[in-house]
Amino acid sequence: MNEALLALLSGSLGSVAGWTATLRESAPLLVTGLAVALAFRGGTWNIGAEGQLLAGALCATVVATRLLVEAPALLLVPAVALAGAFGGALFGALAGVLRAARGVSEVISTILLNFVASSLVALAIHGPLQEAARAYPKSDPFPSAALLPSFGRVHAGLLVALLLAVLLHALLFRTPFGFRLRAVGLAPTAARFAGISPERIAVTTLALSGALAGLAGAFEVAGVTGQLYEGLSAGTGYTAIAVALLARLQPLWVIPSALFFGALEAGAAAMQREAGVPAVVTQVVQGVVILLAALVSIRRRPGARLGARARSEAG
Amino acid sequence: MQEISKSFVPAVPVLEGVSLEVAEGEVLALLGENGAGKSTLMNVLAGLVTPDAGGLELAGERVDLGRYGPRGARDHGVGMVHQHSALVPAFTVAENLCFGDSAAGPWFRPGAELRAAEALSRRFELEVPVRRRVEELSPGQRQRAEILRALGRGARLLILDEPTAVLTPGEANALFAALRRLRGAGRAVIFISHKLAEVEQVADRVTILRRGRVVANLSAGELDARELGRLMLGRDLPPLERRAAPPGPPRLALRGLSVPGVTERSRLCGLDLEVLGGEIVGVVGIDGNGQRELEEALAGVRRPSGGEVLVAGRRVALSPRALRRAGLAHLSGDRERAGLVRGMSLAENFILKGSWDDRRFFRRGQIDRRAAALAASRAAARFGISPSDPDGDIASLSGGNAQKLAVARELDGDPPVLVAVNPTRGLDVGSARFVHEQLLARRAAGGAVLLISVELDEVLALADRVVALVRGELRSVPPGADRAAIGAILLGEGGA
Repeated sequence: MNEALLALLSGSLGSVAGWTATLRESAPLLVTGLAVALAFRGGTWNIGAEGQLLAGALCATVVATRLLVEAPALLLVPAVALAGAFGGALFGALAGVLRAARGVSEVISTILLNFVASSLVALAIHGPLQEAARAYPKSDPFPSAALLPSFGRVHAGLLVALLLAVLLHALLFRTPFGFRLRAVGLAPTAARFAGISPERIAVTTLALSGALAGLAGAFEVAGVTGQLYEGLSAGTGYTAIAVALLARLQPLWVIPSALFFGALEAGAAAMQREAGVPAVVTQVVQGVVILLAALVSIRRRPGARLGARARSEAG
Repeated sequence: MQEISKSFVPAVPVLEGVSLEVAEGEVLALLGENGAGKSTLMNVLAGLVTPDAGGLELAGERVDLGRYGPRGARDHGVGMVHQHSALVPAFTVAENLCFGDSAAGPWFRPGAELRAAEALSRRFELEVPVRRRVEELSPGQRQRAEILRALGRGARLLILDEPTAVLTPGEANALFAALRRLRGAGRAVIFISHKLAEVEQVADRVTILRRGRVVANLSAGELDARELGRLMLGRDLPPLERRAAPPGPPRLALRGLSVPGVTERSRLCGLDLEVLGGEIVGVVGIDGNGQRELEEALAGVRRPSGGEVLVAGRRVALSPRALRRAGLAHLSGDRERAGLVRGMSLAENFILKGSWDDRRFFRRGQIDRRAAALAASRAAARFGISPSDPDGDIASLSGGNAQKLAVARELDGDPPVLVAVNPTRGLDVGSARFVHEQLLARRAAGGAVLLISVELDEVLALADRVVALVRGELRSVPPGADRAAIGAILLGEGGA
């Protein structure tokens, strides 16, 4: 037991290698966590960060391995990032439009679009995007000009992600758009009476949220793997929901929250390697944390509190 | 109940030595402002709150309050009907009636439950569709179902917490008739209210609470509206002062306004109406005759099918932003739905409607949070809103204080036209008075006020001119018409 915990700690926070692994795992969680926090703040339950991430990775791969292969890094890196954001935004906006125009619950549509996205990735790497050698279902490696600059094994996307957390905080709490978004998230009908269209906010929110998740996908392919393959994201977009909830939807708190989940992921690998404890044990820990986060985020109602106290007194 | 005391926060008593008595076959009205301690007192009786001191005797038997609790209340025949329904929406009425009834045993017997529910309904002449699911019922039916459930569990003493707050006048009258029948059947009823008119209709005795103390015990015969108001508030409620105001130019005009309705009955067909500056025009009507459609059309959230609206002589597009820019403010009694955002602060709620064009608070893509906090603090000071912290959540305010903030927001900038819809719904006497005074102040300042309300007394006290909204059409009400005459018009008998 001790051995396992030790491995978990040293594999995540106890060594330089551990820290780099933690930071590498945290980067996509941070960006997707921000995506989910933004969507939830606007009252749209985006369960589709996973699919939006994959869509972003797919678009980024198209740009890096097909469209702009010869371009210099100064052009290619931003183009790859933008392509990722575009792909994610497209998937997010699709769910937003379905909800605004037809009243389709975004919970359902985003979950279903996750399957669409992962199937599209499979289709692409078995077909048009498959590597020139045609040996494995994966894309060509990215040209080196498309790769994110990195420090050791930590890519520059992490810095961008930190910046995004600050920007998102400012967007939500300092700008009229963020104000309207929060109003719609808290009370859509009251917002409508105040001249704010919940439908329009839903489309914008989901598009922006998808763009963030898509950016995370671009960072993964251009910063970590260097190519697109199936199983690129092992549930990052779902863990992102826990990341956002643990941060209580506060963009700045998403940073430590993502680090925590990133450390768990990194440590789990070390734990399995060194102590032989299956990595799923950390998934249990993650699950417990998610439940606790959900418990904390349920707002207490005065009536419920009164009843609880009365019962304990009566008991 | 004897000498009941309770403090939730030490040294801040909610109840101080309150004694109360109710006999079989009696309806006792418990009156008081919000925060007077009515609900806490009744929660003690229902076993939800344990008092710090005091005693309780039920049917001559002394009760140990330390071990009383909700179950003890039930065993002693005390049943409470809460303001917010405690029934399971997806269950039928019959299922709700047997739900939690331990005597029924572990098995669910649909037929027997149904028969029992029907028998109960017949016995107390409380008409409830027992086969329907609770979520399909009207508020009045839901409440009757709730009363039935209490009676079905053997309640001899019924507590009703502000039962008429959710009811239309017709439903309220039906409730009063039911209460009178229960009284006849030897049940005791305690009825919490802050409306004087309904107390006069149904109560035998009245107990008035103020700041946790009993200030008066009266029998129904001694009631006098002014005296009651004075006792509840602790001060005299002077009659509303209505100065003569010279009529100004027409400020708001509806020309053939037609709006699709939620129901056939509530569809608006070609409304024509004009409101002058310095005038309050009251629209009376029974709920569901188009009030909601009229409100939503004038707030710009429901698209009309025909006609136009003119503000200060100019045609206005019916969108929230255009109407606001033209100088039309909208004050709704349905605060949660149409006015305020719970989870946002006082300051954020104050600036809510200006997010597109109010340069004082929104400039160059940024929110001026200091200006917003300052404006909200000023409003809080001017209108006596408490707690007044501009960064506090609006949800921590009582209904009256929240409505004061809505009033402050809507009257900010002296809009030439104010549309007020049931502006005092759910407010106590003092807060309602405040809102009424503000409407009159707007009128005195030359503003046009359209008051759409289901409270006839409110409209009669404030309006210069009254029209009736009946089945989506406006009918004129002759000046000086009394309640009975207006009632006949509302029911579609007579009127032009």
